Amino acid sequence: MSGPIINWIDKRFPLTSFVKHELTDYPTPRNLSYWWNFGFLAGIVLVMQVATGIFLAMHYKADASLAFDSIQHIMREVNYGWLLRYMHAVGASAFFFVIFVHMARTLYYGSFRAPRELLWWTGQGLLLMLMATAFMGYLLPWGQMSFWGATVITNLFKVTPFIGDDIVIWLRGDYSVGDDTLTRFFSLHYLFPFLIIGAVIVHLVALHTVKSSNPSGIDLKAKDNIPFHPYFTAKDLYGLGIFLIVYSVFVFFMPNSLIEPANNVPANPMVTPNHIVPEWYFLPFYAILRSVPNMFGGVVAMALAVMMFAFMPFLDRSRIPGGARYRPIYRIQFYLFLLDMLVLGYVGYKPPTNPSIVVVGQVATFCYFASFFVVPFVSKMEESWLIKRGLPQGIMELMEREKRDLEERKQEHRRRKGDTV
Amino acid sequence: MSTLLKVMLLGLLSMSAYAEEAKLEKIEVATDKPALARGAEDWMNNCHSCHTMKYVKYRDLLNLGIDKAKVDGWRGEASLDTPVIAQMSEADDMATFARVPPDLSLMAQARDGGPNYMYSYLIGYYLKPDGTAGNHVFPETKMPDPLGISSASDAAQRSEIKKTAGSITSFLTWAADPHAGERTKLGNYVMVYLVLLSGLLYLVKKQIWSRLK
Repeated sequence: MSGPIINWIDKRFPLTSFVKHELTDYPTPRNLSYWWNFGFLAGIVLVMQVATGIFLAMHYKADASLAFDSIQHIMREVNYGWLLRYMHAVGASAFFFVIFVHMARTLYYGSFRAPRELLWWTGQGLLLMLMATAFMGYLLPWGQMSFWGATVITNLFKVTPFIGDDIVIWLRGDYSVGDDTLTRFFSLHYLFPFLIIGAVIVHLVALHTVKSSNPSGIDLKAKDNIPFHPYFTAKDLYGLGIFLIVYSVFVFFMPNSLIEPANNVPANPMVTPNHIVPEWYFLPFYAILRSVPNMFGGVVAMALAVMMFAFMPFLDRSRIPGGARYRPIYRIQFYLFLLDMLVLGYVGYKPPTNPSIVVVGQVATFCYFASFFVVPFVSKMEESWLIKRGLPQGIMELMEREKRDLEERKQEHRRRKGDTV
Repeated sequence: MSTLLKVMLLGLLSMSAYAEEAKLEKIEVATDKPALARGAEDWMNNCHSCHTMKYVKYRDLLNLGIDKAKVDGWRGEASLDTPVIAQMSEADDMATFARVPPDLSLMAQARDGGPNYMYSYLIGYYLKPDGTAGNHVFPETKMPDPLGISSASDAAQRSEIKKTAGSITSFLTWAADPHAGERTKLGNYVMVYLVLLSGLLYLVKKQIWSRLK
């Protein structure tokens, strides 16, 4: 880049060097597959949600007596209001879908391993913020499912020791979910996306410090890295095209498939729906909540279930890089875990009146936590088995180098300690 | 990772296998203007006395292409920009049924099964041994059989009532989502555009990546 204007800016702001460092010279492994597109897609969905959300907020009324009507006003009278609302509603599901694939890719390829722990943990923080935002946004249409979903979930904070009841009232702003809850959820639903944008920047700074992992699990030599722009901008944009096709099928042809019919009935505190279900993306966690007979235990289990991913860098003790690519047992564990998530999702969707569903839910909940707790042992055993069986040359070298580095660091540490003593 | 996709698809299949309790009749919802106009007329004749559609205004019916004289007949003194309110007052409703009949603007989307539920409910009335009418789909209903299908034994009469139920269902499906037609029409253009765009982006990607040795 050159020219007088760019020169003028560059003397005052590192524009050219920034673009160079983060885009045109940013080294990216050339072997990244399309599974690496989903982080970019998550960023795009975030932008779409903010953009549609800002316009929806211009027409929406955060008032218990007006909220439901204002949604219908948006759907019927606002120019392309139906498009804004369906894009936003489908966008919430798209966001979770993209994030779940992004997380599954990280787990499959072991991208959470050193040195990418902080990248993974900032992502975990983003997941929690996304869940909070989606939960608060779901109250805003003020339908039956909005109201009762918010009632059930805020009620969970009752289990906080000593101050549980006060916390619930503090969260709701009233003794039950009502107008005060709606207005604060609206305010926070508008705030959180901007906190998420801030956290995404932290996530990206961490990414650009440690760089992308890649399917081989080995940090590639310089010649195998290519600049992010234009290679991955082109690849990401093609992926975006495919994503938008799927997204548009939902927005234009089946937008109501993701909206519970009961949410087309205005909120009524006097009538409980037969069966309160959360949105599909919360179903596995909802199933875990219900599978523990004791409410306190259920809430703790649900919170732990969401947080379990953060422990993966500690749980996975295998030194073999590349995640499931070189580790057949880890691969089996990965697919079993996915299957268990689907079973939990199904259990969360079904009413808990059927005793066999309850048992399936309890078994699946046990399997969910067990699949994390066995990782340290299985990964170690798998490692020694694989080393005995023989690993590709590059991987053995990498593992030996890492072992040497670790030894050296330990000796260095000991030497320094010896000096001070 | 194609196994992953297969696993996910299997999961989706198992989700759709979960169906409603009562067996519902399937109905093809009509979306053409003459059918909707007929549905509006059937709705006005059979439902308007008790039911409100507060999100639908008389002007919306005019914009749907319904004859101005007919809309004027339905609205009487009311302005074109007033919502379609039931002819019976809520006080009379309370006196007669001990409850206010529900608003029907969104009813086609407010029950599991959507239009199928609505259609099956309307034709689900039957004569109980004690001579009163029951309903297969919604046994607790307070609404008296509006189309009289429970007392119709003649096959021609029954099929006529089913046709009316179908046209009311089509009309209410339009009322619940009046922009659906515009939406799918725009959606077709968007899909063509996105498929072309993705094709071009694929070629761009291929071209750029071909520089790599």
